[in-house]
Amino acid sequence: MLKFISKINIFIVILGFLMAYWPMGGYQEGIVILLCINAIAAMGVSILTGFTGIFTLGHAAYMALGAYTTAILTVRYDVHWFPALIAGGIIALIIAWLIGIPTLKLTGDYYAIASIGLGEAIRLILENWQSFTRGSRGFPGIDPYTTRIIAVAAFIILAIFMLNLLNGRLGRELKATRDDNIAASFMGFNTTMSKMKALLISAFYCGISGALLGGYMCFIQPSMFDMMKSTELTAVVVFGGLGSMTGTILGSAAITLIMEYFRDISQYRMLIYGLLLVLIMVFRPEGLLGSREIWEILNFKNLYKNSRN
Amino acid sequence: MLNTFIQQVINGLSLGSVYALIAVGYSLVYSILLFSNFAHGGFLVIGGYACYFLLTRLGYGVAVSMAGALIASGIAAILTERLAYKPIRERTPITLYLLIASMGVNIIIENLFVVTIGGRIRALPQDTFPTGVIELFNGVTVSMSDIISLLAAIIFLSLLELFLSRTRWGLAIRAAACDLKTAGLMGVNTTLLIALVFFMAGLLAAVGGIFLSVRYSLYPQLGAITTKAFVAAVIGGLGSLPGAVLGSLILGLAEMLTAGFISSQMRDLVVYSLLVIMLLIKPAGFFGRRVLDKI
Repeated sequence: MLKFISKINIFIVILGFLMAYWPMGGYQEGIVILLCINAIAAMGVSILTGFTGIFTLGHAAYMALGAYTTAILTVRYDVHWFPALIAGGIIALIIAWLIGIPTLKLTGDYYAIASIGLGEAIRLILENWQSFTRGSRGFPGIDPYTTRIIAVAAFIILAIFMLNLLNGRLGRELKATRDDNIAASFMGFNTTMSKMKALLISAFYCGISGALLGGYMCFIQPSMFDMMKSTELTAVVVFGGLGSMTGTILGSAAITLIMEYFRDISQYRMLIYGLLLVLIMVFRPEGLLGSREIWEILNFKNLYKNSRN
Repeated sequence: MLNTFIQQVINGLSLGSVYALIAVGYSLVYSILLFSNFAHGGFLVIGGYACYFLLTRLGYGVAVSMAGALIASGIAAILTERLAYKPIRERTPITLYLLIASMGVNIIIENLFVVTIGGRIRALPQDTFPTGVIELFNGVTVSMSDIISLLAAIIFLSLLELFLSRTRWGLAIRAAACDLKTAGLMGVNTTLLIALVFFMAGLLAAVGGIFLSVRYSLYPQLGAITTKAFVAAVIGGLGSLPGAVLGSLILGLAEMLTAGFISSQMRDLVVYSLLVIMLLIKPAGFFGRRVLDKI
């Protein structure tokens, strides 16, 4: 397995170089940036929903926290974008920690419902804190620091980090917690801690993704991070396959490209998005790759061996 | 000060009664299928628009238009269940898929209206319901539409309660709320039962939709307000009908008192804070059943 992981690492780096240096026009460049930003957020939700089994409907709020932190630091305090970006991720992480202590005790649907409430509450605080965030008018004038190379670099670093993390001890710990909370705690895992770790990582990823989105759009608004966005994040993860990180990345890319394809008929865009959500749930609820990673599917030799046993 | 308080209590009860009509629908569906049906907002919008078109374009009377709206919304709910939820239910027990599909249905319904008749804000004709304001004392007023919406909520919720407690189908629904599978084994036609539950939920959503479009106005995104009714259902305890009504009244009062004494911008924040606090203190709500994890 380690061999495949290192192969996948090399593959991602090559893919990244192609995405970063392949000559393309401004429009295609924008799509590549969006692909990276969406994939980072989807990876964040995936580790929580797909690998730890905690369903969230409020993760857009962490994107909002990252976006606003970075925007305010760069515009108001003239901080360089890079430390501001990291700060965005860390603020999202700290808020997630504060939120996680009481709410991670909730089981099943109740966490999802609480996350709706918390997500909306964070969005409403950003909307009502006029003096600091300019409220619902939005925050304009952010430097366009998210260039194609930076977006792709962020994606590659975070993707490799995530894949290796999941392939190691933490991945096994999270999956054990997901599959059987009680059995995992008998095995000596502190399951509350493992859930917390997953939540912190996911909040950090979403924060970075939001910060990059701010740098790409040069303008952010609380309504960009509403419940609809949160639903989209979870839907993308389900579409990719719960428990499959490469599936999440593919699913996020597929949804982003489909939505880009319909940009011209913007009136019908949301209608198509709604239809897509329902059709995916009806026809392929297990997602694109099920719970397998892509190398488990492409590894034909392994497949053959398994079928023999 | 006291006048403001009484005025806001009256407004809160009126708003809470509309929430109650919608929240009961969430609870009904949750009690049977154990998922939160976010397409409920869509049913509400269908009810509102059906009433609008029957009244203004086809020129029917208020009673006929309302009845038509209720039936249209009920049928939309049944169709949604058949086309979107039934295939998922039969394939997997994971309710999250149903929840995401229901959000998809909500987006579809909302944008169908945007695409076909446009997103412009409409208002029901002025003479739909008796207008006018009654002054109680010292400037505390009640509008006729508030009284009517309160009465309608009481009538419809009492009818629902009578149906559930006095009829054979009501008994079947209560049995299914305990355990759908066992109710099916006992000879209840569960397909018909689920259709009936969705029809009732859609019908109540339409009543809520008509009163909301009188109170505010009618636009495709009106369904977003059902998120608050959902919060009310959670606070009262998902799956419990008295809980949904109690939660709605609490939420309506909290919202209006915040608007009256603090600031109307803080209304929604108070709503979601109440939700989170309630979940932390008592996740199952006031009257909900706490389903423990099975070992």
